Amino acid sequence: MTQVIIHTNENGGVSVTVPTGELSIDAVKAKDTPAGSIIVDSSTLPQGSDAKFFDAWILNGSTVSLDLTKAKAFANTMLNGMAKAEVSHRTTNAGIGIENKLSDADWLALLTTARTAISSATTTQQLLDAITPIQTAIADNA
Amino acid sequence: MAGTIVSDTIQNGAGASTSTTNVINGCAKAWVTVNGTLSSGMTLASYGVSSVTYISSCLYQVSFSTAFTDANYSSAVSSSWDSGGNSYPMIANIANNGTYAPSTTSTYIVSRIYNNGSTGFLVNYLYAIFFR
Repeated sequence: MTQVIIHTNENGGVSVTVPTGELSIDAVKAKDTPAGSIIVDSSTLPQGSDAKFFDAWILNGSTVSLDLTKAKAFANTMLNGMAKAEVSHRTTNAGIGIENKLSDADWLALLTTARTAISSATTTQQLLDAITPIQTAIADNA
Repeated sequence: MAGTIVSDTIQNGAGASTSTTNVINGCAKAWVTVNGTLSSGMTLASYGVSSVTYISSCLYQVSFSTAFTDANYSSAVSSSWDSGGNSYPMIANIANNGTYAPSTTSTYIVSRIYNNGSTGFLVNYLYAIFFR
């Protein structure tokens, strides 16, 4: 089992320090992490789809868990970032006479569906599932 | 048996030689390879690096086992695509108005989207090498 050192960082998220093994974990804790940091086994960190939303992790005592509200906000941020880049691509396509795979109406409908799915999600897997059709549509239109 | 060899040049069997300064200054003083994810376990290989800290999906800190004499080291960093299949350029030794400036004991690695206040997924592979 891998041991890591965790603490709440200045952004309100969780910083996870992974020792390389050159120094003992206690030496790393003293040298590389702030006072109050704690050593935990990495297997206690969020798993599965929760593991993907690192920016939504929060630390309560010695337990790291996932804040679904933050995860939803990050999912929306990711979605909007992908959408902005794709709109630029779609505009370029239109300007040089290449037909986009989806009509503008269908593209917007897909985005609306994704946003609705993010809003109603109760798990991080549902957040990932909400984003996947957008990623697929972008890949298909590459 | 401990000892010190003092020489200004080093020469191979074919007679080619170079200044030992080239050897000393041309060698990487630290490097690290990170392979894996925080939750599923990861493998780190390193020299001169004590730890890697994940601060956000877009910001990482590399701490050195032994402090540099100053913060004027050079670095090169790269990464794999993240677990969501997205690719971002990685930048080391950022200043960002001093908030994440490199020091003698650690430096920061940031992906481009961090500057946009954005978010992403953690990278599965991270590579960094430091010269001084």
